[in-house]
Amino acid sequence: MNENLFASFMIPVVLGIPITTLTIMFPTMLFPTPNRLINNRMVAIQQWLTKLTSKQLMITHSPKGQTWSLMLISLFLFIASTNLLGMLPHSFTPTTQLSMNLGMAIPLWAGTVFIGFRNKTKMSLAHLLPLGTPTFLIPMLVMIETISLFIQPLALAVRLTANITAGHLLLHLIGSATLALMSINLFTALITFIILTLLIILEFAVALIQAYVFTLLVSLYLQDNT
Amino acid sequence: MVMQMLQSLIKNVWVPMKPYYTQVYQEIWAGMGLMAFIVYKIRSADKRSKALKASSPEPARGHH
Repeated sequence: MNENLFASFMIPVVLGIPITTLTIMFPTMLFPTPNRLINNRMVAIQQWLTKLTSKQLMITHSPKGQTWSLMLISLFLFIASTNLLGMLPHSFTPTTQLSMNLGMAIPLWAGTVFIGFRNKTKMSLAHLLPLGTPTFLIPMLVMIETISLFIQPLALAVRLTANITAGHLLLHLIGSATLALMSINLFTALITFIILTLLIILEFAVALIQAYVFTLLVSLYLQDNT
Repeated sequence: MVMQMLQSLIKNVWVPMKPYYTQVYQEIWAGMGLMAFIVYKIRSADKRSKALKASSPEPARGHH
């Protein structure tokens, strides 16, 4: 049962070759590049959603921060599409791997920190001390703020990994519980099945929300530093 | 064919994205360098610990 439970988190391998790169690049096939002014329905819906998301996300930034719109919207689309594709049964979700989420979080977070240091050195250092602290608390608070700064990329990565992995694991467990209970007590199996349905709806919401949270936090770190 | 692929890559990817790759994302490249350094450190530490485990004599009592 243990091997079966974590089987969906193992890297997909075809004829002995891990096809991780292909799996990660697959969602790009679902977003065709529009070459015309007026496109087909699918591209029109994607363009409308992209415009809606990008306006809501980037309107609070300064012009320098808005140069990152392409990066942030691509990030959001990538995480959202990868998570939603992971809702298909028995599929492999790349965002369940901590390595990939760290690979997304560390460069983006470090990018925001370096932008702050490079362009507004004094202001980015001033962020290490909240406004209005009593004088004798300053050294301790600076240490605490520095630690919280360095935890940001770890928190970004682990939040996404843990949410998606836990959701998938729970769905797997409750699904197998429903199946096992069907031969024992049909009423309990029905209750478990209702729980499973509610959990699936929650998972769809979590898939989108986690993508949004990741992108929003990166944009917040950017705003602080531009 | 490789030259044609390279030309198409340059025309469709590099030319439109040049200001991004050269100016806007400079700090992100630096962040990627930091990430590569971290990955290198983790991989070498893992290799060192595996080599140590393989070379040291195993305890006679076995694993608990």
